[in-house]
Amino acid sequence: MADAAEVAEAYAHWREMCNANERLRRMLRGWDRIVHLEATDTGDGFTVSVRDQTLGPLAVGTDGAPDLVVRATSEDFADMFWGDLNPSEKYMSGEIVLAGSQEDVMRLDAMSMVAFLDQ
Amino acid sequence: MTDTTAGAGAGLRRAMGLRTVVSTSTGLAFAALEYLAAAGLVAYVAGDAAWVAVGTAGLLALLAWGFFGELNGMFPTAAAIRLYMKRSMDDRVALVVTFTYMTTIVLVIAADAFIVGSAIAHVFGQATWTAGLWILGLLAVAVAANLRGVRVAGAVQDVATYTVLVTTAVVSAVALARSHRALRFPLQPLHGHHPADFLEAVALGVFLYSAFEWVTTNAEEVRRPHHVHRGMLIAIGLLFVACGLVTVSMAHVLDHHQLGSAFPQLYLGRAALGSAGLWLMAGLTAVTALNTFNGGFITASRFVYATAREGGLPRQLARLNDRAVPWVPVVGLGAASLAVALVVAASHSWQVLVATGAALEAMIYAVAALCVQRLRRRLPDHHRPFRLWAARLLGALGAGVFGLLAVVASVSVSNRFDPVPLVVIGVCGALSAFYVLRVLPKVRAAEEARRASAGRRRPRRPTPPTPAEAGTP
Repeated sequence: MADAAEVAEAYAHWREMCNANERLRRMLRGWDRIVHLEATDTGDGFTVSVRDQTLGPLAVGTDGAPDLVVRATSEDFADMFWGDLNPSEKYMSGEIVLAGSQEDVMRLDAMSMVAFLDQ
Repeated sequence: MTDTTAGAGAGLRRAMGLRTVVSTSTGLAFAALEYLAAAGLVAYVAGDAAWVAVGTAGLLALLAWGFFGELNGMFPTAAAIRLYMKRSMDDRVALVVTFTYMTTIVLVIAADAFIVGSAIAHVFGQATWTAGLWILGLLAVAVAANLRGVRVAGAVQDVATYTVLVTTAVVSAVALARSHRALRFPLQPLHGHHPADFLEAVALGVFLYSAFEWVTTNAEEVRRPHHVHRGMLIAIGLLFVACGLVTVSMAHVLDHHQLGSAFPQLYLGRAALGSAGLWLMAGLTAVTALNTFNGGFITASRFVYATAREGGLPRQLARLNDRAVPWVPVVGLGAASLAVALVVAASHSWQVLVATGAALEAMIYAVAALCVQRLRRRLPDHHRPFRLWAARLLGALGAGVFGLLAVVASVSVSNRFDPVPLVVIGVCGALSAFYVLRVLPKVRAAEEARRASAGRRRPRRPTPPTPAEAGTP
């Protein structure tokens, strides 16, 4: 089980990678969204916002009406943000549960793929 | 059936309401190919009693609705087909079935491109071969729009679908009224036909409803989860009314040559409203294609992307362009659809396409029935917000009936024995099986090796000392 500090540390790493990736920033053009992350094991909630092609800092707690909700274990969140876990694989096996439009889901997965695999 | 749903996507800023769920479900089913399937169905039953076959198929569609309702409730995600099949059967079999089923999307996109291309060439009075150029142009536009990330907004889709349904129903009713002839055998579908013909008509009738279940891939974005199965139910009702009217009307006012053409709906429009009706139906055909191209390209390309990301297909298929669109599947889908559409245009074999699609849909409904039955045994305690009554009995019935319809549809084209659809499905199935059994293990091994070489990025946390190490009692 990863505590909130571990998830936040992992997210900070992911955020840095995403915001430093020029290609990813092009992909995020016009995609301003609010994403809620809900850790199913610890009950922690976080809010992430994407605005002006930039990933904002992680806010503790779920704030505002989201465009996308991601539910996973805290370990999966930490592994995902460190790039050790393929979110698609967990999603296709039903371990990561999402609520939101397919296009938003796709964009979020693209962020993780481009940031770590640069495809 | 019982419904104990609780809101999952209720708090989302942008969520899909029931109206859009209904229009999505109906719009995916009501492709331009619907007009050809309706005209083809008339060959098997006593003309204006065609609605009986459409209604019987509708009852079977209700059975399929029960299966997809339960499966979607258990796995309310775009990845549902992978999840329920993986849990019901060997993953390799599940992948073979899924890949084979995905060819339906190629067939439907190709068919719609062909039908719209042929209809445009006809209304402009151009030579038949120019349909090929229109097909090329239409698919090029569809691919380009998809690559740019353009998608039809929910509201536009609502307007397009309801316009298509209402206009089709009105044109059909006007054509019937203006024929000034009473219906001859509206309650005798077997008049002058063998009972086996009725079975084939029902198989084609099921195809009229097919793809209504694709809306389950939107389960993550609906305002209320029960909107999905409620929307599918309403869609089946709407499809019955529109398809029943169009088949009866076509049977009543069109001659044999017109029914066998690539654009029977244009003749129907002309019979109803003269040349204005012809143009109206041409426009309407183009609108149906808008829904097909939008839904088909997005569904198929995103599925291929997700499967490639999961490791089930080569990683190259998950490549994204700068608009986050998986461009390789989009281009591949466009190329495959173009090839199929041109072959159909050159060989005038659109009824083979209809029969192949009907057989594939019946096959996936039989598989869904089996999945419901098996999951009741394997996952008896899994949360089922929507439970099908007598699932074991109906599951067995559904697997048997849809399996039979799949066989019937795969060996019959335009009321003649013709195994070409079976051969097409067999080739697609064999290619899928070859890929899954021979190529996929290598793809997965390469992915494993890549991951192993990448190593772990997450720093290891120091293990907290045990009480003995810490020196505490």
